[in-house]
Amino acid sequence: MLAVWNGYILPCVCAFLACLGFTLVFNIHGVGKLICGVGGALGWLIYLLGGSTIFAAFLASAAIGLFAEIMARLRRCPVTGYLLVALLPLVPGGGIYYAMSYCMAGDTQRFLDTLLHTFGMAAALAVGAMLTASLFRAAYLHLHRPKPAKT
Amino acid sequence: MDYDKLLNISVELGCRLMSSGAEIYRVEESVRRLLQAYGLDSPEVFAIPNCVIVSITTPAGHPITRMRRIGGHGTDIELLERCNALCRRLCAQPPPVEEAQRQLSALLDRAPQYAPWQVLLGYGIAPAFFSPLFGGGAADSLCAFIGGLAVGLCLLYGGRFLGSNSFFRTAACSTVASLASLTLVRLGLGHSADTVTISVLMVLVPGVALTNAMREIMAGDIISGLSRAADSILTAAAIAIGSAAGLGIVGML
Repeated sequence: MLAVWNGYILPCVCAFLACLGFTLVFNIHGVGKLICGVGGALGWLIYLLGGSTIFAAFLASAAIGLFAEIMARLRRCPVTGYLLVALLPLVPGGGIYYAMSYCMAGDTQRFLDTLLHTFGMAAALAVGAMLTASLFRAAYLHLHRPKPAKT
Repeated sequence: MDYDKLLNISVELGCRLMSSGAEIYRVEESVRRLLQAYGLDSPEVFAIPNCVIVSITTPAGHPITRMRRIGGHGTDIELLERCNALCRRLCAQPPPVEEAQRQLSALLDRAPQYAPWQVLLGYGIAPAFFSPLFGGGAADSLCAFIGGLAVGLCLLYGGRFLGSNSFFRTAACSTVASLASLTLVRLGLGHSADTVTISVLMVLVPGVALTNAMREIMAGDIISGLSRAADSILTAAAIAIGSAAGLGIVGML
């Protein structure tokens, strides 16, 4: 029980609160704040469940993409805000930092490893979110043919 | 109808949308729909991240074009949502041009903004809760909170000293971030300098530029997508250079 709490629930609560912090920076008000927080927590949960690999990041960003699209349709608001904030915890800030510090230390092998891993994470995030967003958009247009959606 | 005024309004709307962080296709689509709602059959809209060009042909056959450059801007989701809602309203029931102009001007006055201290708090809260995600303890969270506040102060009030060059600004802010975290850890407040630094750097990381870049490319706006992708790579490089400078300064002491 404690393992689940420390391993999954606490990090998700932290991701939720961190995303709430970012909603202040991006001037998001009202229900949007909650949606961003929940999106961030959801993404982080899936990332942890998937074993914190690049593929897990792909799955997490796919889930965030789908979640953000659905919420944007429900609220009839642009999807950008929810997607931006919810993806932030997954952005490889650590990768940039470690790559820099290995480069400073002259450890070329680990520098290149970390750099490529960072690019991999960034690419996984980008591909994951845009894949589900496009699939969702295609499916949504198919279901709502008479009323073309613009969100 | 006064087509000059209509053109001004539509360029203004496009400019507002863009500077609040909308995607290119949303700007182009919104302006085009607005002009079509006013009965123009083939308005042309072209947008890239720092410029909007709108060209219309009046029913009398007279072409009018307006171009507007857009300076550096942040992301303001509330304003974006309001602009989007206004555009939907105007398209559904186009009011007289003067009324539309009035509603557009009123938009900026009524949009809620967080007070600077709230934004600063946001810059502090985000790193504080990122640090447990990277394996930091309570003490590291506290350090990250303070570091985040320092970076937030630089971003909010440092514009005068740092200029408008975003590469330099990001590099300077990440120097501050790594200096603050390393100093706090050296003073014995935090445990892991790496965790604290990464948590603080998360507020500078180019997540927004990356997300926007992929959305532009997906929507088919390759030029804008590539420029935003280049922006995110440059920002990442600035973060690396800045934090390396911070490490170097602390290493020399």
